[in-house]
Amino acid sequence: MHRRLAVLVMMIFGANAAWAQSPPPLDQAEQIRILLERVQQLEKRVAELETKTPAAPVPAAEVSVNVPAAQKPETAEVAPAPGPMHQHEPTESQATTRQLEARYPSLQIRGFGDVNFSTTDQRGATSGFNLGQLDLHLASALSHKVTYFGELTFNAQPTGYTVEVERSIIRYDYNDFFKLSFGRYHTPIGYWNTAFHHGAWLQTTISRPDMVRIGGSFIPVHFVGLLAEGNIPSGGAGLSYNVGVGNGRGSIISRPGDAGDNNNNRAWVANLYSRPTKLYGLQMGVSVYRDKITLPVVSPAGNEFREWISAAHIVWTKENPEFLAEFANVNHKNILTNAITNNQAYYVQVGYRLPWLEKTLKPYYRFEHTHTPFSEQVFTNQDLVGSIVGLRYDITNYASFKSEYRNTKRLPTDPRVNGAFFQTDFTF
Amino acid sequence: MNATSKRVLTSLWTILWAVVTLHSPSAAQTSRGADVAVVVNSDTPIADLSLSEVRKVLLGERQYWNSKLPVVLLIRAPAARERDVVLRVIYQMSEAQFKQYWVAKIFRAEVAAPPRIVYSNDMQFELLTALPGAIAFVDSRNMRPGVKVLRVDGHVPGDRDYPLR
Repeated sequence: MHRRLAVLVMMIFGANAAWAQSPPPLDQAEQIRILLERVQQLEKRVAELETKTPAAPVPAAEVSVNVPAAQKPETAEVAPAPGPMHQHEPTESQATTRQLEARYPSLQIRGFGDVNFSTTDQRGATSGFNLGQLDLHLASALSHKVTYFGELTFNAQPTGYTVEVERSIIRYDYNDFFKLSFGRYHTPIGYWNTAFHHGAWLQTTISRPDMVRIGGSFIPVHFVGLLAEGNIPSGGAGLSYNVGVGNGRGSIISRPGDAGDNNNNRAWVANLYSRPTKLYGLQMGVSVYRDKITLPVVSPAGNEFREWISAAHIVWTKENPEFLAEFANVNHKNILTNAITNNQAYYVQVGYRLPWLEKTLKPYYRFEHTHTPFSEQVFTNQDLVGSIVGLRYDITNYASFKSEYRNTKRLPTDPRVNGAFFQTDFTF
Repeated sequence: MNATSKRVLTSLWTILWAVVTLHSPSAAQTSRGADVAVVVNSDTPIADLSLSEVRKVLLGERQYWNSKLPVVLLIRAPAARERDVVLRVIYQMSEAQFKQYWVAKIFRAEVAAPPRIVYSNDMQFELLTALPGAIAFVDSRNMRPGVKVLRVDGHVPGDRDYPLR
């Protein structure tokens, strides 16, 4: 019996030792490296201190900060006093300090990419792989008040690649309450369009909701002009705003007027949102957008329309659970005939980061609906009722696998389409 | 079950419990450390912040102390206790979520750069004294002169209701 017990104990400790000797995961290895660096720094520091003469008696002012601040809060602020700590020669730490001081311009580049596979039961559709957008994001501080942001995408086409300037923004910060920028933006209507941009890795799902689809026209995804933004002093309400003036939709209504407006009317946009301090993770907002659309083809009913977009969103940005919901109404009024149409779209998305497997799994579901009336004169029909259910698996902190099942229906006469979609996306 | 078998089973359970307990990461984390002080450059025109204001600063939603003085965020490298406290209490994020948060923040053109990573207390104090507008999180046992300790929700490190621990 004792022999059996001894064998069991040895097995447990053997397994235990093997566990302890298994190679550490990547993050752990990084932590060990950092710890070793810290140990080396501390050893160097001790060696420096040991070579110095014994320290002079510590001035009273310095003693006061070394006692717990709770006892002497009024002495927490102490002017730099000459003492042993400040007499040493320039050290490696000071060199690092100099390196960390801001330098201008300071260009940072980050890339995003994705590779996809899809298969559906839609008649005429083919299954297969496709390369998503290769997205380069540039950020460069030009001074502590002026910053440049850019975003370029490389898009696979049947005949090659197209390059698109998605965003190009120069921003002047006066303070937290007023920041003024000029350039090409993602229009601040609703939430998704300015939260996730073109990097698929940033969003939970494989694709954007149809109402904010890249290349779509339901809302103007891009905007060329100027934008003022900032916080609003509002206490716990945590209000912020964006207000912009720009060219509005171009002759191709899915595109902004990059090279110039196609009429003498400027579009304007206003977005107001709240991040209440008591409910960290919650964001609620409303947006309005006003424009005059001039279509390139003149019909007997005219080619000029007033556009009025009103939108609202509420999101819970934490992942346990994640909740995103957005609604937008696009109102078009024919200037010649005064005929009015209203188009609506909304989506609701929920996700949940599961607590197991180092929180790498996140199942999600999204329902979306778009309605365009038959009398609509600006849009082609965009009707959609669709559901997606999927699972995101974060392979590392910077790459993920996503798999989705989609069920969508466009027109009432169209059949439902079922599809399976897979994506790996990453940032580098 | 005879007495010997009971003894054997008890011994096995004890060994298993000891093995599991020794390997549990929570064993090290449950021991309470010192408070983490919110420390700024001594020229920063602020002495008291609420926890939600500290969160706004750390989330990059407040980027200026005033129109002439930008906030310079200093965060300890992974594995430092101060960083664990900041992530747990203020960000309420895991290490992975924290990294992703800042990638997204820069991508949204809301900030130009992530917080600066500091690898030691020495480096932290060097930067705090050298960079106007710098804010860092320091173990309150390792305080040094030349910096300002902020009250958080009206409390200073050592108070019973001090939130950062």
